[in-house]
Amino acid sequence: MNDLLHGYGPVVAGGVGVTLRIAVGSLAMACVFGLIGALARLSASRIARVLAQVYTTVVRGLPELVLMLAVFYGGQYLVNLATQAAGWPDLDIPPATAGTLTIGFIFGAYLAETFRGAFLAIPRGQAEAARAFGYPPARILLHVTLPQMVRHAIPGFANTWLVMVKATALVSLIGLDDMIHRASLAAASTREPFTFYLLTAVIYLAITSVSIVALRALETRFSLGVRRLDF
Amino acid sequence: MSFVSLAHKLLSVVVMACVPVVVTAQAPDWKKVRIGVEGSYPPFSMIAADGALTGFDIDIARALCAAMKSDCVFVQQEWDGMMPALKVRKFDAIVASMTITDERRKVVEFTDPYYDIPSRWVGPAAMKNDADPAALKGKRIVVLRNSPRAKYVLERYKDSEVLQAAKEPDVYMELAAGRGDIAFGSSVVSADAFLKRPEGKGYRQIGPLVKLGDGVGIAVRKDDGALRDRFNAALKAIKADGTYRKVAARYFDFDVSGDVK
Repeated sequence: MNDLLHGYGPVVAGGVGVTLRIAVGSLAMACVFGLIGALARLSASRIARVLAQVYTTVVRGLPELVLMLAVFYGGQYLVNLATQAAGWPDLDIPPATAGTLTIGFIFGAYLAETFRGAFLAIPRGQAEAARAFGYPPARILLHVTLPQMVRHAIPGFANTWLVMVKATALVSLIGLDDMIHRASLAAASTREPFTFYLLTAVIYLAITSVSIVALRALETRFSLGVRRLDF
Repeated sequence: MSFVSLAHKLLSVVVMACVPVVVTAQAPDWKKVRIGVEGSYPPFSMIAADGALTGFDIDIARALCAAMKSDCVFVQQEWDGMMPALKVRKFDAIVASMTITDERRKVVEFTDPYYDIPSRWVGPAAMKNDADPAALKGKRIVVLRNSPRAKYVLERYKDSEVLQAAKEPDVYMELAAGRGDIAFGSSVVSADAFLKRPEGKGYRQIGPLVKLGDGVGIAVRKDDGALRDRFNAALKAIKADGTYRKVAARYFDFDVSGDVK
């Protein structure tokens, strides 16, 4: 195997960790952005609703690549202006941070819509009953609506995760040493692109296949107490 | 504790916790230099099987840093993002086989050239040995995008179809895959990375050597003239003490310095 890869196997494999770290970090970020976005869209405040609407509309409407380059180079430019004006030393945004933040921000917009739909799928009576028992709003969210929302959100969430894992391939463009970047360097150095891109394809497929199994188990867990109907 | 200092403390805790930022004190003494390199331009810049950077660019950069007594860190960057990354201070210098052109001089400051290798056409062996615009009329030309070669081809070969590849090795892949009829690339890269290999069989260099730009230099930001001067002094030093020739001999069997006209 290593013969086939001219000894470059471990180099590419070393990038898998970066890819996974970015993907998992971005997912956590996306959940935070998504939850805030969903709650804002469902909130009583008009300003919050408008802001969330703008966020999901604009971010879902722009190519990920454009946003990523804008955050990485444009964001760094703004940071430099600020630190220079304040007379501070340079503050370098590392590509891992920029990549994770950007991907999280982008997919948070998709998750905001998924979560909003999931919240709306919960019968109104659930929150009303909790309120009748004197639950404060935070507790209603944490103990009543959020756990029920998860079940409805999982199919959309799984979709977003799968698309997001593959979107991490874009971070190589902002200088992050992920699997795709390693593979492209190995491909250039050995002049065998097919071998190395095929290898990354297999690895992506492995990551997504494992995710699908894990998410199905999660869905079963959160659907306990709900009868499944087969038509 | 005053409100301001509390807020400050809170803010710094938050920043430390969520954003692993690296604070680099901009040392004007250039004891530490961050160098942007590419990694997919063999034999100038590539990675070995263990992931380590190698190539002529890398070895020259190391030699220059040793001569400057500077501590150098290599930052890998895709070719398309080189200039923006230099501008926003992701690194301080570009050592990535960047040809010195007047257009680029408007944006960055260049050192003296550290090598100068002409460009040349590569096409099927059966093709006529003629690369004039008239001879290539209607042909598909492959060339590296964002390069002086691409500019040259786009300006002079108006009756040809131009296909721009993202990386220099891709130029030859496109040619071998039949998506282009003729390629225009670095004469050394085409000889070393393509013609000597099995997929380069049946192809040869065509037409005369073409000199574009003013050689290949190291790019620094416009306001870092001091760093440029240090690089120039170091380049003179490694040429004088024989280090340059030793490094070049690892990769080439002819003079690449551009000093011999």
